[in-house]
Amino acid sequence: MRAAAAIRGTATGLAGAAGMKGRLIMSSVIEVRGLTKRFGEVLAVDRLSFTVERGTVTGFLGPNGAGKTTTLRMLLGLVTPSSGTTAIDGRPYRELPEPRHVVGAVLEASNPYPGRTAVNHLRIEALAGDVPRARVDEVLDLVDLTEAAGRRVGQYSLGMRQRLGLATALLCDPEILILDEPANGLDPEGVHWLRRLLRQLAGEGRTVLVSSHLLAEVAQTVDSVVIMDHGRLVTQARLDELTERATQAIGVRTPRPVQLAALLAENGASARLAGPDRLEVTGASGEMIGTLAAEAAIPIYETTTEAAGLEDVFLQLTGNSAHQEVIR
Amino acid sequence: MTRLVRVELLKLRTMRVTYGLLAAAVAVTALFSALEASQAGRSVPPVSTAAGLGDATTVSGVAMILACVLGVIVTSGEFRHTSATLTYLATPDRRRVLGAKALATALVGACYGLAAGIVATAVGLAFLAGHGDRVTLGTATMIGHIAGAGAGAALLAALGVGLGSLIRAQLAGVIGVFVWCMVIESILGGSLSAIRPYLPYTAATTLGGAKLGAGAFGPGYSVSSQQALPFLAAAALVAAVAAALSAVAARTTVRRDVT
Repeated sequence: MRAAAAIRGTATGLAGAAGMKGRLIMSSVIEVRGLTKRFGEVLAVDRLSFTVERGTVTGFLGPNGAGKTTTLRMLLGLVTPSSGTTAIDGRPYRELPEPRHVVGAVLEASNPYPGRTAVNHLRIEALAGDVPRARVDEVLDLVDLTEAAGRRVGQYSLGMRQRLGLATALLCDPEILILDEPANGLDPEGVHWLRRLLRQLAGEGRTVLVSSHLLAEVAQTVDSVVIMDHGRLVTQARLDELTERATQAIGVRTPRPVQLAALLAENGASARLAGPDRLEVTGASGEMIGTLAAEAAIPIYETTTEAAGLEDVFLQLTGNSAHQEVIR
Repeated sequence: MTRLVRVELLKLRTMRVTYGLLAAAVAVTALFSALEASQAGRSVPPVSTAAGLGDATTVSGVAMILACVLGVIVTSGEFRHTSATLTYLATPDRRRVLGAKALATALVGACYGLAAGIVATAVGLAFLAGHGDRVTLGTATMIGHIAGAGAGAALLAALGVGLGSLIRAQLAGVIGVFVWCMVIESILGGSLSAIRPYLPYTAATTLGGAKLGAGAFGPGYSVSSQQALPFLAAAALVAAVAAALSAVAARTTVRRDVT
């Protein structure tokens, strides 16, 4: 895929990358405070607050209908909040003097005019952003659309439109990228390409907020996650913190599971009977289980770490079984 | 603002509908002018007279309607095709976007009117030459009619931008323009002659030299002996309607959430 070469070449195409590295100061570049949006009877976003640090890649996660897109549209000044505030670089998007130079965004349901060719669409965006015409060719090459640039956007596949959206977002070389489900419509090769692009952009010191309903889709790319469900914040954590939570269940094989479970419960842990001689313990370390069992003379035949995946944690956090099939 | 107008002009230049409507405006104007000229001497004055030639060379009303349709498409199309999101991401100040669209579409609309005026004049003069008659209409008058057609189409294009922003439903907006110009104004103008000079489409057609009521269609067609508004007053009237529609849109639909 020529895009791979193009990504390698972005150090020059996406100018100012080296300078951005120098700006890697951990300060909030995106701030959402008490954000609420009500559409009639529907409470789409409910007192949501989170921040995104400069130079990080943050996954904005939640099941379909969690309120992610509405939140991003409020952040970008397209939807007016019922209450609460949003700020990018310390001010609302609508008050940014040259917003395209600060934030590049790819949103769902935001297509160029279908009768226009991709190159003409980008020429318009370049003129609007006051960037040279040559930049159009650079971003077309970056997203591997050079050969299809003369085709009308209406003839593009969903994946090609996503690439064109990324080209549009990168046109003005913004420091911040807000991407709403950018992998939608991409084939596996395209998803792999997107991951490399995001890593490349993060490596250049850009701040990326990328939404997805699939944790696995972004787990390899993001530094931290903001998880929301039913319009509310579920958690904001670094990915390694989430990973820690994912491996805390310990399987124990013992001839006296009921007694051991009671003992663990007395000591603040949680144990579930997983078979006639098996317990699944959470909230206790292996050392703690061994010590308690030894003190009570309860034999332990075997302990295993139940490696719950990130997706399991995600499902536990969002707690919506209706979405499990989608997420898995 | 200049950059924003250039952006909107580039958008118009890269839309097929811009050229399609222009072609339709020129073709229909040529047809109407030929029909008018071919009937001259029967129900209308002969083309050899200034009145007859004037009738044949001032049939730019359809071009003005199509300029208005373009205005509707330019704004409502942004919502229909969800490209409004991209537009407002680049320029969050939606009133500036609306203003730039009105200016840019008015410029393209002026081209519709000028093209229609030139074509109608050419057809009228061709009929005149075919009959071997002398040109009885002054050059300055004919140029004035062409320029007036450009002005009328420009103002109706801007009016269409306001209407499209207000309605946002493209099909309803386009149908609304045709129904208003071809049916409602014809009926209102034909039955209530006192208000005829103040109807926006009728006023716009008089800018291009058409007699009051000559721009009406079907049973409503009746050239009135009543005086049309003076040029500037007619232009101000259409501009005021366009501004009013845009102002209402800016306070209502344009501020709505883009979801």
